[in-house]
Amino acid sequence: MDLKEEQVGGVTVLAVKGRLDSTTSLVLGERLTAMLGAAKARVLVDLSQLEYISSAGFRVLLMAAKRADQNTAKLVLCGVSGKVGQLFDLGGFLDLFSIAATRNEGITAAG
Amino acid sequence: MNVVETTIRNRREALGQVVDTVDKFADEHHLAADIVADVQLALDEILTNIVNYGYTDDAEHEIRICLRVGDGILETTVEDDGVPFNPLESIKPDTSAPLQERRIGGVGLHFVKNLMDEVSYARVGDRNRVVLRKNLIV
Repeated sequence: MDLKEEQVGGVTVLAVKGRLDSTTSLVLGERLTAMLGAAKARVLVDLSQLEYISSAGFRVLLMAAKRADQNTAKLVLCGVSGKVGQLFDLGGFLDLFSIAATRNEGITAAG
Repeated sequence: MNVVETTIRNRREALGQVVDTVDKFADEHHLAADIVADVQLALDEILTNIVNYGYTDDAEHEIRICLRVGDGILETTVEDDGVPFNPLESIKPDTSAPLQERRIGGVGLHFVKNLMDEVSYARVGDRNRVVLRKNLIV
């Protein structure tokens, strides 16, 4: 898994590439926890290059969403499609997260 | 060869080895990418559960994985000598609970049951045996 971070206006865009399994999810979890700890954090997680996600990946995304909610930070996801999108649906996660259709819409939604 | 068998240690870092074994087996048998993705996920969830919760000691244990293709089915068998655990008896996660009440527990096995066509469990001696079946012809 690769993480690429970019600042677009007031929004931090974190692009996740590759596999989110029980090992790599820990790295993403730490990164998101740090990012969402900042006051008024605005974070867009771009999953368009995510090839694989297991329940361990959903666990860190869920924890991040809870943390954002508690800290009145904003966490938006984009690039939820294909096989990854099917799993969001199967796990009942589509309504749980704030999901934008495109990266640009995500930046607007998070900002 | 319609069967491949591999053994891994009960360590998280060993799981990548299984991903490679499944990919190689799938290539050799020209299995559809969609089917392979489902099996990879189901197997990952089962193995991660065993590695994380299967043992009451810190010792090294062996987990046996067997892949077999035949009769239009891809069959994956997982055997471990951990504590008895029947994945079919896991609690169904509440996939409609609001954010702060949402729990991730059970989601992995929920994926397994929904992505596979058949899941069976048996306790054989001191071992758990889970068999995952996926139809190759839709």
